[in-house]
Amino acid sequence: MSVLLEIATIIAPLFVIAGIGFAWGRSGMPFDTNMIGSLVVNFAVPCLIFSTLTRLEVDISDFGAAAGVFSLAVGANIVVSAILLRVIKRDIGAFLPATVFANTGNMGLPLCLFAFGDEGLALGISVFVVSASANFLLGVSFVSGKLSLRETIMAPHLYVVVAALGFLFAEVQPPAWLANTAYIIGGMSIPLMLVALGVSLARLTVSSFGQSFILGLYRLGFGLGIGLTLSWFFELEGVARGVLILQCAMPSAVLNYIIAARYDRKPDEIAGLVVGSTFVSLATLPLLLLVAIQGPG
Amino acid sequence: MALFAQLSAIICPIFICAAIGFFWKRTGQGLDPDLVTTLVYKISVPCLIIATFSKVVVIPQALASLGLASICLLTLNGILGALLLQIFRLPTPSYLPAMTFSLVGSMGLPVCLFAYGEEGLAHGLVVFTITSIGTFTVGAALAAGRVSVDKLLKEPAIWAALVAIIMILTGWKLPVWLSNTTWLLGGIAIPLQLISLGASLAQFEVGSLGRAFGLTILKLGLGFGLGVSLAELLGLSGIPRAVLILQATMPVAVSNYMFAVIYKREPTEVAGMVIVSTAVAAILLPLILAWLLTGG
Repeated sequence: MSVLLEIATIIAPLFVIAGIGFAWGRSGMPFDTNMIGSLVVNFAVPCLIFSTLTRLEVDISDFGAAAGVFSLAVGANIVVSAILLRVIKRDIGAFLPATVFANTGNMGLPLCLFAFGDEGLALGISVFVVSASANFLLGVSFVSGKLSLRETIMAPHLYVVVAALGFLFAEVQPPAWLANTAYIIGGMSIPLMLVALGVSLARLTVSSFGQSFILGLYRLGFGLGIGLTLSWFFELEGVARGVLILQCAMPSAVLNYIIAARYDRKPDEIAGLVVGSTFVSLATLPLLLLVAIQGPG
Repeated sequence: MALFAQLSAIICPIFICAAIGFFWKRTGQGLDPDLVTTLVYKISVPCLIIATFSKVVVIPQALASLGLASICLLTLNGILGALLLQIFRLPTPSYLPAMTFSLVGSMGLPVCLFAYGEEGLAHGLVVFTITSIGTFTVGAALAAGRVSVDKLLKEPAIWAALVAIIMILTGWKLPVWLSNTTWLLGGIAIPLQLISLGASLAQFEVGSLGRAFGLTILKLGLGFGLGVSLAELLGLSGIPRAVLILQATMPVAVSNYMFAVIYKREPTEVAGMVIVSTAVAAILLPLILAWLLTGG
């Protein structure tokens, strides 16, 4: 019973806040997702990263380990998904990013925070930075057919991680004016990300689920499998294990749809994959959390 | 030196957030004001009120005195402001709201938070809520010619304030999931308000700055004088006193400009007052804070 209560406490804020966004999107009231997205990506998330990492004084080796293990997960995911897409004769360039890259930001970070507190958020950020960088770099490259470094280099979160790690290495507290500024601006990111996620879900029009839906299920199932396997192989425990499993099993990232729409590469089917996997993920979230917060055995 | 670090820790976040909004607007990016208003005032501020009073332990008597002091502050600000405008032969309907209603939300709340922590924020919210009620009732009454209660009742912040009062009086606390949810949503209000403040400042058309400067000095001087005297008269001390004085000395609220535009009451002059008073506050506020923090 207490586990059920714990899980309800973790997922309730996510459903309430994303629900506000969903209702907003459905009501037809204007919601400028570009403006909110730009505010979140350029200011709020970098501040959240800086604030979380410097305030918490995370162990740098834990932070690096989370990034390393998740990189392996992404690598394995790319290989297996590419083979699968080849076997079922789908357009690899169009579908590979959406089956590999998960929503480790909008959905993953709030979950890591709610399930494992600030320490979970710090490790979740480590995974998110790897995932978002790879999503920009490889996602755009796959879909557009040529290697594009621009978006990855332009994204501010990499530089912020470097700055925060600099403070941690030097064992210097950032000055109070900087810490306060980052704390207050960073406080916008999780609620705004969740509201924006809800709006996107309400707005994405899905013409046909069909095969996209099955690929969405594959994204969730294979992601969970790879998270469990890697955490078992590296004997991860506690927060490190939980964060890896949660982040690996997130639904397909909304960014995949944005990239697909920009290059006009099967945007409708990618929308189906994103929306389908997100709704299934929301429905199965209690089970996922049960696996993530309860240790092996 | 320590005082300087302490002051910059309070002032810098405010001006950095506002600067983000200012340059955001100047670089030609949109900031949909309806979206910001809905997010901030319909969703985030009510959550901030509930979350803060669910978390912070406050003394009900001190809050009640501060509430009474805020009501007196607004009333006396209105009466004395009207007298001053009469003396200088300026049109009262155009300038009185700007003399009375201050930036107690977007600037006042972060100042209270960073200077006195979450307890400071809780007290700042009392002044903010009462000023909001004043803006909606008196502001709407001046514009429409009658007091509209249903407009006030449609404000979620009013209902949030009622919940907060119940929590303070009964000691009832929110369940964890609800306090987490409101705490997160409340995190939007302060930064987004400040960013939209900066964006507003970037797009104002300004009238004569000379008159705006004169009125600003009158407004801030009157506010500071009233804040200090009311705190003395009502026996406030510590955080409630500091919060009252700080909130009383905030610059002219942006909402005055919005009202001036809608009702065509010399908006460019009011815009000038908002800009000049914000600039003067940037200098004045650190001085007042230094005085308060060193035991003034």
